[in-house]
Amino acid sequence: MTNFPLAIYFLTWSFVVAGACLTAIPIIIHLLNRRRFKTVTWAAMEFLLRAMRKNRRRLKFEQWLLLATRCLLVALLGLALARPLGCENPALAAFGHHTALNVFIIDNSYSAAYSTGRADAKTHLDQAKKLVTEMLSRAQSGGESVVLITASRPATTSMEPQIDLEAARQAVGHIEQSWGATDLRHAFELALDVARRNDKIPDKNLFIITDATRSAWEGADGASLKQLGPELAGEFKSIQHFNLSSSQPQWNGAIADIKPGDNLVSSKFPAEFRADVRGFFPGVDPGHEVSLQWTLDDQPIGKTTASFKLSGATKPQRLANVAFATGGPHVLKATLLDNGDHLPVDNIRRRIVDVASELKVLIVEGKRGIDPEQSSAHYLMPALAGHRDVVPGKPASSDSSFSPEVITDLELGNKVLGDYSAVILAGVGQISSTESDALTKFVQQGGTLLFFMGDAVNKDNYNTMLFKRNRLLPGELVKVMSVGVNEHEYSFDFNPKSVVHPLLKDFANVNSGLDRVPVRSYWQIDIPPDSSAEKVLNYIPTNPKAPADPAITAQTIGQGRVLFVTTTGNLDWTDFPQKPAFLEVVQSMLVGSIRTGDWWMNRVVGEHLSIPSSVRMTTTPVLSDSEGGLIVVSPPEPDAGAVLADAKKADADHGMWRSLYHTEPLVKPGLYTLTLGERKVPIAVNVPAADEADVTTISNDAIRHDLGDITMAMLGPELATAGSSAQDANDFSWWTMVLVLALVGFECFIAMRFGHYRRSEVVTPGAGSPALGAKGAM
Amino acid sequence: MTQTATDYRKYLEPRTLARIHSLDLRARLIVEGLMTGMHRSPYQGISIEFAQHRPYVPGDDIRHVDWKVFGKTDKIYLKQYLEETNLHLICVVDCSESMGFSSIDLGPDRWSKFDCATSIAAALSYLAIQQQDSVGLATFDTELKHYIKPSNTPAQWKIITRELTLVPKLKKTGTGRILDQLAEKLNHRSLIVLLSDFFDDFDSIKMGLRHLRYKKHEIMAFQVMDPQEIDFPFQDTTLFKGLEEAGELLTEPRSLREGYLKELEDFTASLRKLCRGMHIDFTRMNSGDPLDVSLSGFLATRSASIK
Repeated sequence: MTNFPLAIYFLTWSFVVAGACLTAIPIIIHLLNRRRFKTVTWAAMEFLLRAMRKNRRRLKFEQWLLLATRCLLVALLGLALARPLGCENPALAAFGHHTALNVFIIDNSYSAAYSTGRADAKTHLDQAKKLVTEMLSRAQSGGESVVLITASRPATTSMEPQIDLEAARQAVGHIEQSWGATDLRHAFELALDVARRNDKIPDKNLFIITDATRSAWEGADGASLKQLGPELAGEFKSIQHFNLSSSQPQWNGAIADIKPGDNLVSSKFPAEFRADVRGFFPGVDPGHEVSLQWTLDDQPIGKTTASFKLSGATKPQRLANVAFATGGPHVLKATLLDNGDHLPVDNIRRRIVDVASELKVLIVEGKRGIDPEQSSAHYLMPALAGHRDVVPGKPASSDSSFSPEVITDLELGNKVLGDYSAVILAGVGQISSTESDALTKFVQQGGTLLFFMGDAVNKDNYNTMLFKRNRLLPGELVKVMSVGVNEHEYSFDFNPKSVVHPLLKDFANVNSGLDRVPVRSYWQIDIPPDSSAEKVLNYIPTNPKAPADPAITAQTIGQGRVLFVTTTGNLDWTDFPQKPAFLEVVQSMLVGSIRTGDWWMNRVVGEHLSIPSSVRMTTTPVLSDSEGGLIVVSPPEPDAGAVLADAKKADADHGMWRSLYHTEPLVKPGLYTLTLGERKVPIAVNVPAADEADVTTISNDAIRHDLGDITMAMLGPELATAGSSAQDANDFSWWTMVLVLALVGFECFIAMRFGHYRRSEVVTPGAGSPALGAKGAM
Repeated sequence: MTQTATDYRKYLEPRTLARIHSLDLRARLIVEGLMTGMHRSPYQGISIEFAQHRPYVPGDDIRHVDWKVFGKTDKIYLKQYLEETNLHLICVVDCSESMGFSSIDLGPDRWSKFDCATSIAAALSYLAIQQQDSVGLATFDTELKHYIKPSNTPAQWKIITRELTLVPKLKKTGTGRILDQLAEKLNHRSLIVLLSDFFDDFDSIKMGLRHLRYKKHEIMAFQVMDPQEIDFPFQDTTLFKGLEEAGELLTEPRSLREGYLKELEDFTASLRKLCRGMHIDFTRMNSGDPLDVSLSGFLATRSASIK
């Protein structure tokens, strides 16, 4: 039995009003015709009156019928143009509204690839596309306005509403599975932008189709969503959420990250890696048994790890003693075995490890004395060079990962800093603006800069060039603090048994003597409150109530790090260089700060690949994905940013400018290959498991709460469950138009039948009669 | 040229007269009086005086062919006689207001039904006088306005045409009563040509005609109609103002056309049936049609019917 639509909506009410008003037109024409008439003097009046008497009732009926038909015709035409819609579900009836804007937000993040086991829609995304396609199919083409927004890498198919529903359906069909994280905040902001751009459209409807996962709704943007909810409710007449998972339990295991134990991975010593394996289960954690397989450059490393329980509290899985025979990039891959979850894409994770075989360190000597011990870098060179074995006939080998090179401060401007992993400024007196900019660029691209003070240091020059200009210092130099005669030297505030800075972690619980180092002088610095500098080591304050002055600070700038030691690297102000701990402190700080430079090789879906200018290239780089598909790598646009422009300028000033290449956001996980002339560099692109792996679902109430408890309809994954039927949003305009056409035909028929039409032939009296001709001739 | 002369010529339109002259006027019935020449008479052989020969034209009665001339010259001539007849032709013309209706606009002049009727009357009168027949005239509306006794003098035709020119047409019609009066006035059996639109009471017309026929008069009835009355070609809403005090009617003529034409046809059919029953020649004339065509057709029909 067919249900008659309960609700009737008109797409354009103005046509209804216009139709009702224009209904008067036939009546007005009729009345006007009655007032505008010809007068004819008539002889055969008797026959006319007799015909009139006989046909009076019929004529009246005909006239009323004709008038009613014409009025109805106009009224129905108005209704047809107004496009009447009938629907059982008023909420869905709003869809297809001619003057309504229908915005669909479709979650195509990688959690939407969760296999659901449906026959006709294997994943949540398949179901979402099917759902939206059905809704679009129910609307009538030619009037509805549709905007599609994907929730991963939020983007619209078009900012302008589409009224071509077939094109919209095709666009839905072309939505691809993304392997990025859900970004509902940007999707909602985009929807708001679309709504505000189309503020002239009175009614706007928002359809949100997500898998209702915790990661999507209660992630880092939770607070933003709560703020956006009321704004959405203010802009959109109706908001409907289609829950693809029906809030049914879902679980997932994933490798969220792979990290090396230390920043520096060298071929000189074995490294340790940790895999952050997580399990996400609804309710009580069942502790699913899994195992982990490691491979290095596609070769298995050791045996598969023993089974461990996958849960929300699984400890990082360690891979120790990984020895790298050669330097350069290596591919480390971890695979979660026996997982059996419904989202396999995050069971594999890769890490490109740029193994350092030799770390070049540039030591800039600010003070050179007759006695070598007076040189500011005298003690730094052996601290970094380590012990060298000299075998005749073979290159000298060393147990140190560092390869130091000492230059004077006068040579600094001639050096290509990009060739070094770290630069040490040991008591350099003055820094030019060009050198300051070059050092800043060097740090931003991942280099490590280490300052040692000395007598030659010019306070004003340092404050101007290094702090105010580029913020390379943690704060302004205030004054040199020196102990007086018969006063105790300053000493480091170091307790090996207390919490120590990570850079000094090797000194924890060790009697290194670091707490007994005498310091006679140091530069007092004023670290501003907003500074990101960390105090690695302080001096014991002479006045217990006064704040402790920092002895060593560390701050991150760009991809690199700046270490600042407030005293000298020789014996001028301290005896520290003579201490055994000096070597280890310097090496620990560098090892803890130097990045091997593989950060740009490890990307997450949705991120760009930016090739640093420090990477040597002999030709235009070519990037191909795991399936061999080429990805465009191009120089940045000229207006890519003032910082970039400045960096280019700085490079150009040093005569070492090279193109910085980048790509559009990478969309597929896998192992990419970057060809740099003869050299090939692996690029690992992983799914953002840390953001999206939690596929546990939340309830509809929770979703509503996450959106600020706004009024919204919570629906299931099937359109049928929304209480709709095939008659939802049924457009009656065509039937009305058919009725109009039938009435037109009927009107023509009765007008002809009743004689209310103009004859094409009007009888005119013969003008050529002989009698008349004779009369005219007279 | 004087107005009178112009009026005479109006009734002597050459094309009309030439056609009627070639067909001759023949009486259908033998009326009282002498019938010589072309008229068939119960008193044959009396007062036959040869007048002239004329060439044969198709349609002439071969009984009047002069075979002697044909034998000598091998050409066909007809013998014509100078015979006066005692046929009385009475033209009865309706000059009521309805006869003044005209839809034919010829600039300064209008060609009304009355113009058409007077033209026919004049033409027939001329023909009759040419044949030495007596011609009389009666004009009427609600009453018999003028009656001119039949005469065959040459001046009679001018008297008749003058009378037709001066007749006013402002009143209603009383056809039946007028025909009664005429029947009483006429002593001799006459050929009465009745020219009217017959927009009158059917029963009174019937009574009048019956009276005339009872008096043995031969009647030729011409119903003169305007083209608009026949076709009713009106489209837009029209206020019809009736002549002869028939009232007014504001109507949609397109919707009424069918009913009107049916009424008119019914009336004409009744009239035709009445005339046929009384052996009266009935012809409906369209005032927009050529006059000679109507007359020629009518006279040809009559000529054929009396042979």
